[in-house]
Amino acid sequence: MEHTYQYAWIIPFVPLPVPVLIGVGLFLFPTATKNLRRMWAFQSVLLLSIVMILSIDLFIQQLNSSSIYQCIWSWIINNDFSLEFGYLIDPLTSIMSILITTVGILVLIYSDNYMFHDQGYLRFFAYMSLFSTSMLGLVTSSNLIQIYIFWELVGMCSYLLIGFWFTRPIAANACQKAFVTNRVGDFGLLLGILGFYWIIGSFEFRDLFEIFKNLISNNEVNVLFVILCAVLLFAGAVAKSAQFPLHVWLPDAMEGPTPISALIHAATMVAAGIFLVARLFPLFIVIPYIMNFISLIGIITVFLGATLALAQKDIKRGLAYSTMSQLGYMMLALGMGSYRTALFHLITHAYSKALLFLGSGSVIHSMETVVGYSPDKSQNMVLMGGLTKHVPITKTAFLLGTLSLCGIPPLACFWSKDEILNDSWLYSPIFAIIAWSTAGLTAFYMFRIYLLTFEGHFNVHFQNYSGKKSTPFYSISLWGKGGLKTINKGLPLLSLLRINSNESASFFSKKTYQIDENVRKITRPFITIPYFGNNNTYSYPYESDNTMLFSLLVLVLFTLFVGSIGIPFNQEERDLDILSKSLTPSINLLHQNSKNYMDWYEFVKDASFSVSIASFGIFIALFLYKPVYSSLQNLDLINFFVKKIGSKRILWNKIINIIYDWSYNRGYIDAFYTTSLTGGVRGLAELTHFFDRRIIDGITNGVGVISFFVGEGIKYVGGGRISFYLFFYLSFVSIFLLIFYFFYILI
Amino acid sequence: MYLAFTTNFFPWLTIIVVLPIFAGSLIFFLPHRGNRSIRWYTLCICILELLLMTYTFCYHFQLDDPLIQLVENYQWIKFFDFHWRLGIDGLSIGPILLTGFITTLATLAAWPVTRDSRLFHFLMLAMYSGQIGSFASRDLLLFFIMWELELIPVYLLLSMWGGKKRLYSATKFILYTAGGSVFLLMGVLGVGLYSFNEPTLNFETLANQSYPVALEIIFYIGFFIAFAVKLPIIPLHTWLPDTHGEAHYSTCMLLAGILLKMGAYGLVRINMELLPHAHSIFSPWLIIVGTMQIIYAASTSPSQHNLKKRIAYSSVSHMGFIIIGISSITDTGLNGAILQIISHGFIGAALFFLAGTSYDRIRLAYLDEVGGIAILMPKIFTMFSSFSMASLALPGMSGFVAELIIFFGIITSQKYLLMPKILIIFVMAIGMILTPIYLLSMSRQMFYGYKLFNVPNSYFFDSGPRELFVSISILLPVIGIGIYPDLVLSLSVDRVEVILSNFFYR
Repeated sequence: MEHTYQYAWIIPFVPLPVPVLIGVGLFLFPTATKNLRRMWAFQSVLLLSIVMILSIDLFIQQLNSSSIYQCIWSWIINNDFSLEFGYLIDPLTSIMSILITTVGILVLIYSDNYMFHDQGYLRFFAYMSLFSTSMLGLVTSSNLIQIYIFWELVGMCSYLLIGFWFTRPIAANACQKAFVTNRVGDFGLLLGILGFYWIIGSFEFRDLFEIFKNLISNNEVNVLFVILCAVLLFAGAVAKSAQFPLHVWLPDAMEGPTPISALIHAATMVAAGIFLVARLFPLFIVIPYIMNFISLIGIITVFLGATLALAQKDIKRGLAYSTMSQLGYMMLALGMGSYRTALFHLITHAYSKALLFLGSGSVIHSMETVVGYSPDKSQNMVLMGGLTKHVPITKTAFLLGTLSLCGIPPLACFWSKDEILNDSWLYSPIFAIIAWSTAGLTAFYMFRIYLLTFEGHFNVHFQNYSGKKSTPFYSISLWGKGGLKTINKGLPLLSLLRINSNESASFFSKKTYQIDENVRKITRPFITIPYFGNNNTYSYPYESDNTMLFSLLVLVLFTLFVGSIGIPFNQEERDLDILSKSLTPSINLLHQNSKNYMDWYEFVKDASFSVSIASFGIFIALFLYKPVYSSLQNLDLINFFVKKIGSKRILWNKIINIIYDWSYNRGYIDAFYTTSLTGGVRGLAELTHFFDRRIIDGITNGVGVISFFVGEGIKYVGGGRISFYLFFYLSFVSIFLLIFYFFYILI
Repeated sequence: MYLAFTTNFFPWLTIIVVLPIFAGSLIFFLPHRGNRSIRWYTLCICILELLLMTYTFCYHFQLDDPLIQLVENYQWIKFFDFHWRLGIDGLSIGPILLTGFITTLATLAAWPVTRDSRLFHFLMLAMYSGQIGSFASRDLLLFFIMWELELIPVYLLLSMWGGKKRLYSATKFILYTAGGSVFLLMGVLGVGLYSFNEPTLNFETLANQSYPVALEIIFYIGFFIAFAVKLPIIPLHTWLPDTHGEAHYSTCMLLAGILLKMGAYGLVRINMELLPHAHSIFSPWLIIVGTMQIIYAASTSPSQHNLKKRIAYSSVSHMGFIIIGISSITDTGLNGAILQIISHGFIGAALFFLAGTSYDRIRLAYLDEVGGIAILMPKIFTMFSSFSMASLALPGMSGFVAELIIFFGIITSQKYLLMPKILIIFVMAIGMILTPIYLLSMSRQMFYGYKLFNVPNSYFFDSGPRELFVSISILLPVIGIGIYPDLVLSLSVDRVEVILSNFFYR
């Protein structure tokens, strides 16, 4: 048994040869490497599968023996300090590595097809394998410094992959934003690590936990300092997991290729923050303030993410905000002390969200041939709709993912989310209410995305009732923004999809068209297949290739069945579900007592409540977004409702406009950061530059100029005229004589 | 035993110091065969020198011995006890190897220089000698002479092969450094003539000498100003951006890679070793200056529009870490500072090289004019992003280890109280946020996005094998040190202990 553990250090290094070889190959033998194309993809999948098998093996061993294995080598030894490298295999590690490898393999298979025509195909695979290396390194690391190292590497991979299509200026901005925001978190993480090193004198997790516990129980440390360090440490997790103050990078990160969004920005890397908090759980749990803080941040993120997801028109951005909200659930669970539930939700959410992203990628892929390669258009939900006919398999997969995320019973996320919601009742009623209502919101926005994408008619060729071909560049409004009164009084809800006052629509279209021109010019050298463009007016999207569908279907299976690892099957014996069994050694605050009396009745009661909230959200979404013209029979019903609320219409409109604006402008947080922080840094830069230029350099130059003038003056004086010299000579002699005379008199 | 003595007797160091300038002066006697032969000749000399150095250090230098080795001592001027006294220890071996490495690559980078290439290459070789001489000298006056010797080539290289404002920046450079040298000379003479019997300029005897505190402080200030100009330390840094902005990029490589490190080396070698009391008095102020410098330079950098100036400010910012490491007076911190010297030597040189090569192609030095050149030059793009990552201390690259160790140096330092430590570390870490802002936005402005150039596309070509070789051969040690820092740390660990023992036993 020890055997496998001894070789576990190999886990992070197995996928490493791919990026190294591709990198060297692309640099030194570009043509030969490019000709091998798919060979490289095959190898990276193969290597990752080896890791998967290894980590599954480790997991099974963990289940049987539930032991923790640690091995350490020294890295830097000095007199005063030493840094070590090592690996730590415990249930958390093995679960995370299974998650990373399974999603990773599926995404690699998927992206073989998705990126097939891209010039950067090999670069993509190199980055992906580099990412898997560093992510696996992160989860297997045994001390904080190692975590920090891989933490940064993961961030760099994310930077590279967001900026993968570097010709897009938006992507360029997005990747810088992601890196800098993550760096703010790393700043906190590093300071936290250093602070704990100062308190404890070690980086090893086990030493850290034990010594820290002793110190706290003996009251030997300054509590304020400890809290400061813990908050700083938590800041790293906040940035990486896109929690409230530092979440701004995640939606922008969707500029990267869609497989990346699935792997990095939905399933694995953003979960690194959760992983960190879970890893340091024994540390945080000793300080109750920090736990409260974590759950507070979690609940804020849950709510904020859900509200911001309400009015996104870019399909991936909508999913990104949903990811943020779900990560908030995990953070909330951790803050409440239910370690197991957080991890459970991490797993189920990872599979469901990966499924959703891959599904959206498939949709985008099929849309691209119709509307062109600009992300403004191919990811725009306004232009989608009615894709059920064209991409049925993707639709089914996406629907299952959506249902799972909404928390509909047999699917994965239901089990975990239900547990979180139940635990939240035990923790605090206010948090519980917010969490429950957000579950409804989740169902609402997920179904909004689903309906806009797959139901109704294909909107690129959308014709409105007057028969005019509408411009495809209107912005989507949630409940209508200002235009509700002017257009289509009788059918207010029809205008939901395409309301905008006319002049703004035309303005918008013009602008977008210009962008389109540019993009077309630029993307052409990168994409080898011919550009279909808008001239091909009545083409329809087609279903993606089998390779992509394969990954989707496997993920569907995961989404269907992964919930079973956490379901309490049998109530007579405790701890029968796999997850709790493997995580038994870890601390579980809330479930210590509650485990015993939780029975089916309680479960069904809670579950039915959460399901009813979710279905209420779904119903609202259906009500609002079920395209009217496709089901005219609903019209009466809708109009009935509209008339009923008609009296309070103005107030109602005001409220929804406020919500819409809030959501559409991303809660004004981005704008606030742009003006305050970016502007602040720029202002500071200008100020210091001015100071540097005018004052520090000014002194130097001033000295130079003065010496120049002095020199000129002396030159003028020493002009070579004898009479002048004589005059000087005599005058100085006379002055000297005068002084001498006076002194003589005085003495 | 006898054999060992004979091999030790061979004047390895003298040969290493003298060979480049001697061989360089032969350039003028080469037959007129065009620039090609001169280039190859210079390159061969550089490689020969590097190999010689490596051989000597491999076979005649014991790493675990903290004393001075390969000592040579010849009386030169008897009147005031001036010796040609060379020797190296763990502190100087790293910078010497760095000098050899970077100068060789800089010669390779200077391939396109055609104007007056005899003089150019002679100056490069003269600089080589001067730099190695100042790192290897064990005599205070010899140190000063070598220090001055390498100024003149830099001045000429700047004023003859620079950009448009080259005369202005060359003058500024020479005035600043000559002004610093005045203080250095005063310090040298003061320290040398302090003992009344006879002038002593030997480092060993001087290291054991103690001075009255006031006098030591005065000496310290004198030396410090000289090194602060060179390092540079704010507010004496303004020559650096101007110089780097105008110089040819091979000169920039030498400037950023080695010249700045002479200041740091001098700070350790003279200020720490000879004047420990004053150093422990001054070190809190130095730490404050260092932290300020990190923030100040990092926040000045984003508003620079010239590419090279921006990189120059990033060097200034990174020098702040060296100052902090040196003045933390801990084993760890000083090791980190030495590691940072080496690491920044590589990274800074590489960044200037890449900036220079891309400037050669697009002929636009201002960041708001360029853009989207990644399409045309993917290899330069890749290398540039790798080195920006290295410069912003990405783990796995050398910069990270150096900065991390310096952080530990501050943490473990016994000298400072908790609150100042927290503040200093906090401010230093803010630099960690500012660094990616300017480096990444620089690479974004240069490479990302798209821009249609008016110049026909055939003008741009990606980096050829020579340029690729230069950048890769800098990248490899950067990654190597990042993964296994003991490569460099093992050189200096024992010596650092000896230096620091002064602070506790006296």
